[in-house]
Amino acid sequence: MTTPIEEHPLQSAGNAGSDLQPELIMRGVPASPGIAIGPAYLFTKDRLKVEPRRLTQAQVPGEIERFRAALEETRQDILKTRAMAMKTTGDIVARLFDSHLLILEDVMLVDETIERMQEEKVSADWLVHDIMQRTYRSLKSQKGEYFSQRADDIRDVARRLVFNLQGVKDEYLSDLDKPVVVIAPDLTPSDIIHLDRSHVLGIATNLGGATSHTAILTRSMEVPAVTGLKNVTELVCPGQTMVINGNSGKVVLHPTPEHVEEYRAKRRKFVAFWTRLKELRDLPTQTTDGHRVRLMANIELPAESDAVVTHGGEGIGLFRTEYLFLTRGSLPSEQEQVTEYRRVVEAMHPHGVVIRTFDLGGDKVMPGLNFPKESNPFLGWRAIRVCLDLNDLLRAQLSAILQVSYQRDVRIMIPLVSDLTEVRRTRAILREVMAGLEAQGLPFNPNIPLGIMVEVPSAVVMARELARECDFFSLGTNDLVQYTLAVDRANENVTHLYTPYHPAVLRMIRDTVRAAHEARIPVSICGEMAGDPLATLLLVGLGLDDLSVAPVLLPEIKKIIRSASYETAHRVARQAFRYHTAAEVEAFLVATMKKLFADLPVWFNREG
Amino acid sequence: MISKEVTVLNLLGLHARPAARIVKVAAQSKARFWIVKEEERINGKSIMGVMMLAAAKGCKVTLEAEGEGAEELVETVADLFANKFYEE
Repeated sequence: MTTPIEEHPLQSAGNAGSDLQPELIMRGVPASPGIAIGPAYLFTKDRLKVEPRRLTQAQVPGEIERFRAALEETRQDILKTRAMAMKTTGDIVARLFDSHLLILEDVMLVDETIERMQEEKVSADWLVHDIMQRTYRSLKSQKGEYFSQRADDIRDVARRLVFNLQGVKDEYLSDLDKPVVVIAPDLTPSDIIHLDRSHVLGIATNLGGATSHTAILTRSMEVPAVTGLKNVTELVCPGQTMVINGNSGKVVLHPTPEHVEEYRAKRRKFVAFWTRLKELRDLPTQTTDGHRVRLMANIELPAESDAVVTHGGEGIGLFRTEYLFLTRGSLPSEQEQVTEYRRVVEAMHPHGVVIRTFDLGGDKVMPGLNFPKESNPFLGWRAIRVCLDLNDLLRAQLSAILQVSYQRDVRIMIPLVSDLTEVRRTRAILREVMAGLEAQGLPFNPNIPLGIMVEVPSAVVMARELARECDFFSLGTNDLVQYTLAVDRANENVTHLYTPYHPAVLRMIRDTVRAAHEARIPVSICGEMAGDPLATLLLVGLGLDDLSVAPVLLPEIKKIIRSASYETAHRVARQAFRYHTAAEVEAFLVATMKKLFADLPVWFNREG
Repeated sequence: MISKEVTVLNLLGLHARPAARIVKVAAQSKARFWIVKEEERINGKSIMGVMMLAAAKGCKVTLEAEGEGAEELVETVADLFANKFYEE
């Protein structure tokens, strides 16, 4: 993750503001957004001092007593930290500490410590340290983030427990006397929860990745952080000014005064952006004349639902479920799916979640399933075609979705529908699954909406017929563009022909919206086009009910919608249809948007 | 002491879910229970322990149990291994 350090030789002797140290630029993982500039504060905790202390037979019962008391004390500590986390960052972070409680109750820790105390007659702190250290090393050596995080949890719990046994107080970053940038080898969740927000400007650590505990916690506390810097603790000079950029992952040690100025400006811009984002978050997505559009988000992983909430998304318009296969390489069980889906549904409630059934095949090949080699994978065995052939797979998924639908706004969306039969077959299976759940007495929403992704031209042509048997449409423009224009966007030779602004694509969107509205069903768009600021007014003007975009794009799109009237959007849409080539449409939109949004901070993709 | 050698058959080995299954079954038994892989002998009622074994597909491990219900427990857990923890 880190790259070699770049050295910038000192520009001139006696450079103001810095001493003789040359500037050092390091790159790590951008873990939590924001920019921090301030004096470095090295936070290295004392290593646990644990030595085996021999016990006499008579001392053993007392030591066991002490161990049990320390367990209880640690349990209380964890509960307290959990409550703090709940207050500062909310439920999702607080749940991290639930696994700490489980570790504390683990029989290997409890029983083995007691047994060994009796057999080996050694003090409890040494045994706890020994057992936890062994577990930690073993889990760290295994592949996969899951094990690595459990190992971190174990270390955190072990530290608390040993400290409690020794009667030592753990040091936290809660009493700093001035604002600093904290540099540490690594931080435990407890360290972060206890840190003093008013004095910690930012964090840089040697270890950790984008999904580590440090990243999750610092993001939710809005502390800029860069992790995975490998040896920043060795290179930093405590007390000297340094810069961390949590947006890019860059860390600058001993920055030149010019660089400090540059980052100050960047920080001002970022703070302004962040403030605006927060102001926007709770405002409704509507045009200046009051036309409401629902702005939702596309997500790939349950953890992203946090970002949807912080960016003000009104639900999830596309929850891709393929990660369940791709991250673990095996079939997810029904129960496991229930757990994963529930996490997202509960995080979004009262907003809704549209769960897309497995879109496997094409470019998403699953090792566990037997995908044949195809010469035309995008025209081959993929998405709903796979699900209808592998009936059990679909049944388990539908059942899991139904189980999280009770009294919640959950919708089912099937991808790549090219024929009405596919909708009918899916609905028939859905009914059977419902009957099964009913027999088991499990609650679900019997009127759960079933909709389709409109992404194959045949579905657009048949949209009126499809609309009568679907509860909603969602335009998947990525595939729709590809299939309509016969362009594989990954093929370098033709990728310039790939554009959602082709008049044929615009007509397809218009026809789909019309068919949906004639049948009185809602229609949304979840392709990348929905997140392109250039398309926003066009799409609103075409009458799309919902736009679903990547979480980070939510504020930009909302801002645009809130800045124009529905009438303007209509006019933009009408005028766009006057042009007969993609280039003309695009040129028209660029000109129009520039004219309309000249007074807005320019954050259009096309202008960098 | 009852003991039985079993082989890890499931694709992903003893990762979190299979480990949880083993521990759940073992916790219901009064017997003392261990899993042995080469030099390592861990408490089979501990999820930390079972995960630590890092037994991949093809690994042979020995189940050992002692006390009331030992035989039954070893059979139940061996059955989980034989059926790939009912996951595949």
